[in-house]
Parts: sequence; C-alpha cells; structure tokens
Amino acid sequence: MTSSNHVQPNRLQNGGRIDRSQPVTFEYNNKTYPGFVGDTLASAMLANGIDVVGRSFKYSRPRGIIAAGADEPNAVLQLGATEATQVPNVRATQQELFHGLVAKSTNGWPSTDNDLMSYVGKVGGRMMPPGFYYKTFMYPQSLWDTYEGFIRKAAGLGRSPVENDPDIYDQINHHCDVMVVGAGPAGLSAALAAARTGARVILADEQAEFGGMLLHSDELIDGQPAQQWVSRVVGELVGLENVTLLPRSTVNGYHDHNFLTIHERRTDHLGDLAPKGQVRQRMHRVRAAWVVLASGAIERPLVYANNDVPGCMLASAVSTYIKRYAVVPGNQLVLMTTNDQGYQAALDWHDAGRKVVAIVDTRAEPTGACVLEAQRRGIELIKGSAVIEAKGSKRVNGVSVAAINASGERVTGNIRSLFCDTLASAGGWSPAVHLSCHTGSRPEWREDVQAFVPGKTVQKQLTAGAINGSYRLSACLEEGVRQGVLAAANAGFGQQSDDIVEIPSVDGEVEQTAPMALFHVPHTKPTSRAPKQFVDYQTDVTAAGIELATREGFESIEHVKRYTAMGFGTDQGKLGNINGMAIAAKSMNKSIPETGTTIFRPNYTPITFGAIAGRNCGELFDPKRYSAMHRWHVENGAKFEDVGQWKRPWYFPKPGESMQDALNRECLATRESVGILDASTLGKIDIQGKDAREFLGRVYTNAWAKLGVGKCRYGLMCGEDGMVFDDGVTACLAENHFVMTTTTGGAARVLEWLELYHQTEWPELEVYFNTVTDQWSTLTISGPNSRKLLSELTDDIDLSGDNFKFMDWREGTVAGVPARVFRISFTGELSFEVNVQSNYGMQVWEKVFEAGKKYNLTPYGTETMHILRAEKGFIIAGQDTDGSVTPMDLGMGWCVANNKPFSYIGKRGMAREDCVKPNRKQLVGLKTKDPQKVIPEGSQAVADPNQPIPMTMLGHVTSSYYSACLGHSIAMGFVRGGLDKMGESVYYPQADGSVIEAEICSPIFLDPKGERQNV
Amino acid sequence: MSNLNINPQDSAVTDLDTAFKPDCAQMRQTPVQAEAGQAPRAESPLYHADLASMAAKGPLEGGVQLQELSLLGHLVIRGSLDNPAFVDGFAQVMGFALPGKLASVEQGDASVRWIAPDEWLLVVPGNEAFELEGRLRELMAGHFSIVNVSGGQTILQLSGPDAVKVLKKSTGYDLHDRNFPVGKVVTTTFAKTQAVIRRLDAQQWELVIRRSFADYVWLWLQDASAEYGLIVRG
Repeated sequence: MTSSNHVQPNRLQNGGRIDRSQPVTFEYNNKTYPGFVGDTLASAMLANGIDVVGRSFKYSRPRGIIAAGADEPNAVLQLGATEATQVPNVRATQQELFHGLVAKSTNGWPSTDNDLMSYVGKVGGRMMPPGFYYKTFMYPQSLWDTYEGFIRKAAGLGRSPVENDPDIYDQINHHCDVMVVGAGPAGLSAALAAARTGARVILADEQAEFGGMLLHSDELIDGQPAQQWVSRVVGELVGLENVTLLPRSTVNGYHDHNFLTIHERRTDHLGDLAPKGQVRQRMHRVRAAWVVLASGAIERPLVYANNDVPGCMLASAVSTYIKRYAVVPGNQLVLMTTNDQGYQAALDWHDAGRKVVAIVDTRAEPTGACVLEAQRRGIELIKGSAVIEAKGSKRVNGVSVAAINASGERVTGNIRSLFCDTLASAGGWSPAVHLSCHTGSRPEWREDVQAFVPGKTVQKQLTAGAINGSYRLSACLEEGVRQGVLAAANAGFGQQSDDIVEIPSVDGEVEQTAPMALFHVPHTKPTSRAPKQFVDYQTDVTAAGIELATREGFESIEHVKRYTAMGFGTDQGKLGNINGMAIAAKSMNKSIPETGTTIFRPNYTPITFGAIAGRNCGELFDPKRYSAMHRWHVENGAKFEDVGQWKRPWYFPKPGESMQDALNRECLATRESVGILDASTLGKIDIQGKDAREFLGRVYTNAWAKLGVGKCRYGLMCGEDGMVFDDGVTACLAENHFVMTTTTGGAARVLEWLELYHQTEWPELEVYFNTVTDQWSTLTISGPNSRKLLSELTDDIDLSGDNFKFMDWREGTVAGVPARVFRISFTGELSFEVNVQSNYGMQVWEKVFEAGKKYNLTPYGTETMHILRAEKGFIIAGQDTDGSVTPMDLGMGWCVANNKPFSYIGKRGMAREDCVKPNRKQLVGLKTKDPQKVIPEGSQAVADPNQPIPMTMLGHVTSSYYSACLGHSIAMGFVRGGLDKMGESVYYPQADGSVIEAEICSPIFLDPKGERQNV
Repeated sequence: MSNLNINPQDSAVTDLDTAFKPDCAQMRQTPVQAEAGQAPRAESPLYHADLASMAAKGPLEGGVQLQELSLLGHLVIRGSLDNPAFVDGFAQVMGFALPGKLASVEQGDASVRWIAPDEWLLVVPGNEAFELEGRLRELMAGHFSIVNVSGGQTILQLSGPDAVKVLKKSTGYDLHDRNFPVGKVVTTTFAKTQAVIRRLDAQQWELVIRRSFADYVWLWLQDASAEYGLIVRG
C-alpha cells in the first residue's frame, strides 16, 4: 500500500522536526499506516488517530498514549516483522519510526479492541481490590497452576521470540572524567563546559536528537532560537576528540563507584533487522570520575475520575507532539492545570488551529503571564475548578468540571459538562531522580518546588537543571555550566572558573507564579464510590486502592507499594509514584516528607536480554579450553566431556559402537596391551624455593620431608575442616623444586589456596608458585606393553623396572623431544606419564601412535579412565568426595601423617568430635548380586528395602560402572560404618520401584597386591 | 600471582640469605636442532587456526590487524626487588634493569614485562630461553624462581586505528593515552579469560594469552573486530 499519501488526520501541514521528504509506512495490529522519518511510533499512531493502544492489566480498560517519552505506561508494544525479530516491552514513545515497522499491542486478549477481560473487568472490578492476588489466588494451592496460566495470559506485556535473534548485541567499556546524563539545556551546557577543559567527557541521551525540551521550545538563547543554540553546542562537541556523544542511549543504571550502564540502540531506528555487519544494540559500561545528572523532570498527570480514557494525556506531551512531530492528537482540548507551564499545551493547540474548549486552572486566582496569553487567544479560562471526571470509553467525549476549594480537597460547586475529545492535565513536575536513587541515595522533598529532588549522595555526583527542581531555562543553563566546570575541576581539569563557558542568556523569560499542590482531584462522591481515579496506569492502581491499603494497616510507603503493586510495572511508576505517595500520606494524615518515597532500582527502562548478554553467547558463551592434541581427538572421532572449561575426550567410539562397546574395548585394550590418555588438563603447579618442601608438608596431609629427588608421591589436600578437597601426585624435581599436579577442575582453586596460605599465614616461607598447566602436554601411556612401546621412542631413559621404579621420574628424550617421564599410575597398570612442552605435544602424540600400532595402542577418554581407576579403588576428588569426607572416611588414613613437626591444614579439623565418632559414612566397594546390574550413581543405600518411607539412609553410590575386565559391575559408595560391614548386604531402592542388592567389599576390585603396576 | 608483603613482620623476616643458591631442575624443553628437516614439528597455540592461509586469503583492508608471534621463549621470573643478588643478576645478564611497576623494557630481541610486584615475564627468541635461564640462574642468588612457560602461552599483536575499540570491548581497563602510555603493561581480564596487555605504539598492542584459552581469544577477537574489518598477518 502506498499509503504515505493517505490522510493522517492529526498531522499538521507544516512544522515539526519530521522529514516530510521521507514518507514511510508501518503496520500496527495488522493495518498499514503512513508516517514520516523523524516520527516516533507513538507520534505516527497519534497522527493516524489511533486511540486505543492496549488494555489495562487488571481491569482490561482501553488505554491510549499518555506521554511522549520514557514515562509512557500504556503504549508498551510488541515489535517485530518476523518471529526471530520479536522484541517485547518497546515504548512506542521511544521507538523511532522506520519503513516497514510492524507493531502489535500486547495486553488485550483476545484483542485490544474487543477484549474478553473487559467484561471481567467491568463486572469483577469491585471484586479485584488491591491484594486481590494475595488474597484470592493463593488458596487453595492446588489451583495455583490454573490461576497462574490465567493471570499470565491476561497480564502479558509482550512475549519472547521462540527463534534465535539474528542480530548482534555487544558491550564496550569506557572510562571518562565527566559523564553527563541527559542532553537537554543543562546537560549540553555541562558537557560543553567540561569538554573545554580537556577532560574526557561522555554525553548520553535517550533520544535520537540532543536538545531535550529545547527541541520543541519557542524560547530564545543568546538571542537565537533555542534549536540553533543546540546545533551550535552539539557541533562543537562533535569536533572535540575528548568527547564521546551517545544519542539513542539510555543511562539505565548508576552503580557503585561511579559505574554506569548505558543501553545504546544503534540500529533500532533503521529497520526490523540491523543492516548486515552492524551491531544492533550496545551496552556501554562506563567508569566515570565524576557524574553530572541532568536527567530532567517528568510531568505528573492529575488524578481524576476515569483519567485513563484514551484522550487523557500529559499537557507537556501534547506540546511535544504538536511542536516536534506536527501532530495534534485530537480536535477539541480541555486543559486542566495546577501551574503556569501547563498553559503551553493549550496555547500550542490553539496555535495549531484546533479548538481549545477551556483551560481549567485549579488555582483560585491565577495571575501569570500565561493567563494573558490565553486571554489574548480568546480561550475560556475556568478558575478555581477541576475536571473531576472524564467521559467516554474508547475516547474521551466530554468532561465534568466543578469548582473546588482552595486546598483541593472537596468539590464546592455545581458540575458543568464540556464536550471535548482530549483532556490534557498538568500536575507539576517530578524530577527524574531515578539514577540518583540507584546509588542508594534517598530523595528529599522540597516544599518550594513540590517535588522530591536527589538527596545526599556517596557518589562523585553532581546534578543540574530540572532534576534539582530548577525548571526555568536560564537556571538550567547556568547550573549546567557551573556543574560541568565543577565536575571537570574535581576530576583534575581546568580551573573552577566561570569564564570557560559564558552562561548563555535567555531573552524575555517570564516569571512563573506559584503552582498549586494537587495530587488527587476531589469528586462529588467519596473516593471509594467515585469512578476509578488511576494513579499507576500500568498496574491499575487507583486512589481508592491506596486509601484501602492504608485503611488495612499498611503504613510504610514500601508496604503500600507492595500491597497495591504501585510502581511495579515496567515503567516503575514514573508518572504515578508521587501522586500515590501523596494520597497515602493524606490518607494517613501525614506529610509527604513523613511518608517518604519509594526509590528506584536499575534499570530506568527495560533492556533487551541481547544487550545484557552481549557477545557472551553461542560459541563465546564460555571459554572452551583445549589441549595441544585436541585436533587429533576430533579427527579420531572422540566424544567430548566438559571438565570445568576443558573439552576432554570422553571416549573414542568406532563406527557402529555403542558407548559401552567403546568403553569395554578401551578398558580391555589398556589392560591387555597398552592405552593412552591425554592427561594435559590436569593442573600443574611449579613450586620453587628453599621452603618448598616445608610448604608441601603443611598443605598436604602426608609427609614430604624425605621425598628424594627423582621421586613422586601422592598427596591429599584438606580444608581447615579436615575434609578432602583435592589430590594429586607431586614430584621432587630438585631439592628446592617440585611440580604438583591437581585435578583438572581444581587447578585454579588449588593455586589460589597455596597463594592464600603463603600470603596470609606463612609469608616467611621462601617459595614461589607458578601455573604450568598449559606449559606441559601430558601423555599417559598405560598397560603391560607400555614399557615396550616407550622404549621404542627413547634411547636415553633406562626404563627397566630396577632402574626406573614405580613412583620415580626421569628426564630424557621421547620421540626426539625433551621430556619428563613419571612412572605413576591411575589405572593400576604399568604406566608412564610423558610430559613434553606443549608446542611438541601433538608431534609426540603422533609419534607414539606410529610406534604403538603394533601394540594396538588404544586412545581412551575420561570415562575409561574412570572405570580403570575404579577397578583399583582410586578416588576422584569431587566425584567420590563432596567436601564432607575426611581421609579416614575414604579409608585413606595411610595418607595422613600426624607426626609432622609443623601442623598441616586440616589436622585439627579432622580430629573434631564429629569427625572421629564411630559409624560415619565410609567409602567402600559395592558388588551387585546381579553382576550385570550397574547401580545408578547417586542411589541411596538402605539396610531394609521394605522399611516404609521415610527410609533410613545409610549412604549413597559415588562411582558405578560396568567393568569389562572383571566381567561384572563395580561401584564405590558411602555406607554408614561401611568399613566394619564387609560382606554384608545393602539395598538400593530405585525410582521405578525395583531394588538393587549389593555386597559391601573392598573398593580394590582388581589386583589388590598391586602386582600389575610394579613390574 | 603476586606475593604482597602485607605482613609488617615480613620485612623483618626478610633477612635475605642472598648467598643461597636454590637447587632447581632447569630443563631444556625444546629439541636441540637436528639436521635440517629432522627437527620435530612445533605447534603454537594457534597452529590449528592456520593464520598464514587466512592472511593469504583474507581482506587487505580493515581497521584491525592481528598477528601471532609464535614459538618465542617465555620465562616467568620471580624475585624480590629487595634482593640485590636477584636484581643485579638480571641486569648483568640482560644489560638492562628489571622494569618497575606496570612498565616494560624492550632491547633487541628481548623484552621484559612487569607482571606483579615480584613477577616479570621475559620474552626472547625461542631457541635462547634455555641458555638465558642458565645464565640468570648462574648470576642470581637468594630467593628467586625462573619458570620456562614457552609452551604455555603465546603472543598476539593487535594493531590499527580500531584496535583500541576491540580492546575496549574485551577489557574494563582504561586504555586511554593518559592512563596507558606506550610501554605500559597490565595483566587484566580479557573477555572471559585474562591477558597481559602491553602498548607497543599509539595504535599497536600486544596480548600475552594462555595456550588453552588461545582458541577462545582468537574467536573473540575475530568477532569483536568484525565490524571494523580484520586483517590477519601470517
């Protein structure tokens, strides 16, 4: 449809900052509409006369656009032309229009215009007071699933896509001297002042264009239209290399230590998908020396009956739509205001050529210059009165106006009805204190401006402009300059003087007269009987609801908030919170400062998950660590297992083999001839220093004083509590030089553990630790033929059993590469661990395979390693231990030396009463009665399988496999007092009702004398 | 790992036995060069990425250039600046002093980076590491350690007008000229791993990364530089 020529009924012929040379079309709820580049989705919808943009959360009432910025509670839409590009939670007021944009309303079921829930809402409205969900849906609990589905469907504010987002989102870090938040008059002057000192400045603003309210202002700065001043300042900032400008970037979080998170929408204005190669959204992570908050203020709507009927809008938003987007969102306007600024909407409306029915000023005798302006245009002014009720359902069709008393608490006159289709309200301004609140600062009430302003802060933070309640342009400009200069000076740039930037002058600024404090417009009926007076649109909280909450005893404003859900929407109650607090205060006969305010948390506006995740997704979600032989494993069909961040070969299936087939083959080949394991991932720590040996004696449970050069020893490491946390073999390379191995997953933790004890407890010990995990590739060659195989690859190491004993190590050359060879064994077989510098790992691995062909050298992975070690009863720290077992519980008391001159970590812990009591859970072997049955790991042991539930648990299975070498299953597990129960039966009831019976036995199933490894 | 002297008693304890010669097992880890063509094949941590082919095929224009400086000799040197036998030993062998905090020194083929208050990284041509370690051990005394980690890490050079943007996406450290002048060295987080970052020039940076994380860093850098165009140098 070429509908750019279609009539946009509310579009003015001239004016605005839209680009009329670039007409576009967009789709809203499956209908196509015209608009222009430069529109927001909201301004284009209003131009086309779209009144209803959604249905309310609880009562399902039709809702229309109220605001023109981040404060919009209703026009929260679902965007996306395809399934993959769906984006929920988009505020139409902040989404720039592009050609082909597809939007849908979200909270209408089955549709926005014809909503089933509205019947519930109308009929059930009274049945849904605040706390309704707590009171009603909690019981009976069995029905919660039913309730939940209903509530979620009814309450939705959009949905996630079910396909992967094709766009790129990323993150970038910045440091700056001065971070300026907001590019209105205060922010621009602050940024310019700071930038001229040479300080690094970042200026961020959520809008596409810098300028804030100046973009639709008629005021003159330095004798020129404000827009020209904006262009001049932005032009200078663009040219400064010490300045980073971030338009379309919402400062969403202000965290500790002046760390800010900024959500930049780089291509959301260009199309449904980002142009190829471009980043759609970027999260800027800024560390700022000083921050200037110039985030402005948000206009408060007035709270009157039916104030949610489409056509009820903020006065400032009406002005914005007219002046910036050339859209008049209606034909006949009634304006209700408590202050002078509010008049501007009526003046703009009139000047746009449409009818202003009346200005209703709640003040008895308004005297400002604005009154004259209204009179000059012949607009009727109704003083000392309020619109107490709006009429209409899907659009305002009239209002009821009545005189009110001076304090605004009661209706004093007769009701007069006016016809109109738009009702703008101006209830004063609430400074955007959100970011200041993020830092923990509590806002303070200022009576003179009738608003909360930022309170004391612990951050290096300054504020300028309307956030301080300074609403006059001249004040904004002056505060901006001063705070910009001060921030830069505080950060060490420039002198704190005024002459760096002349404070711009504002011509003909008129004095504003005092506003009236009015947070709740009275009705002829009591609040509880009057039509609904909405405070928080998004969560459907009414004035009556707040009064009810206080009557029910909720006195803390935080409790009122939680009970009524005020401020819990995605807009965080930007419009309604202050009105709500004031209503609660009045209802409790307290002042506003006594009642206090709720505060805000990050994020200021919703952020996409894409921007939060950045590039930490897909392949980059988490580092994958590889050994030097990884390519070989891939080429040889390995299946991989994640061990920490490492990708370790799990097993190497041949074509047609099941996993168990492959494991059986790998196990048998190793026991019968020779197998090889890539053990490079084991943690390795190089330890040098005069006191290295002493240090080992303190961190391991066993003795190290006498370990000779050329020897290795297995060690257990415990925490202070005496519980095993890691184990491994450490070799004495030289008198002052050791290399320790750790578990793969425990490497970093063990190194930190050693450093912690060295740095905090024993700094006097002369020892240095360095990780060498990545330095060495480790090839574990295991099996009866391992010696023969290795002998073909080395001519300078004597491999004979007499000269190279079990637990010895030798240096030499393997396959032409210098190597350290350790004769240690985790399989119980004759076994050599060959360590070569990792650049040569692959080369040596390949050479070993060349020589190993005739021995049927078989690569095996972690699973076969697990089986082979379990056949020998060797534990795996982290699998057979869980932080609650002592060496004695593992039957490894032989690995504890209590006669060391200095103590060792865990000694006292394992001597605690509880650790030495009888009948602790102890690690034993388990032999199933049915030799083919493999007990699932984690199965719980019981003594009597027929005991009624809850049964008495005796322990659990930690390791369990089928052993092809033994021809039956094997398992290890904890059994209470198990070491004294050899030969007894325990039972493992399964989820399917079956029971596996097993006999308690030694965990050493194979070669208990160790003859195989000592050859 | 730093070894902070946080215990006030520590300096009293540091009654340095500067005559003590630690007995450590220095090991030649690279094959002695055999006849040409006989030497075992060495594979750097990014060998599998085949950067040479990528360089031949890849684009010639872009804002970021990347090169692996492979198979160099990396020695981690630990010791105390309070130990003259350590400090002087280094200077005697290298002809220059150990750099101070966050600094580096480059002379000829050798470069040394400050890593921590008691730790430096010395990088030399791959075939010089063993002999150099020997001479250092010979001339140093007291409490020190030298660890050859040539197989455990590699060096990437990142350069070009957009290189700094790629780094800004990868690390939270401040890379601005004022905070990160040429020659400075910082060990810090890099994406979800770590790197030793050194500034070589206005637009040239060096990353020392661990072997097992090299593939991750390589994927990360390709991704982060995609929008600027990545030129791989073989």
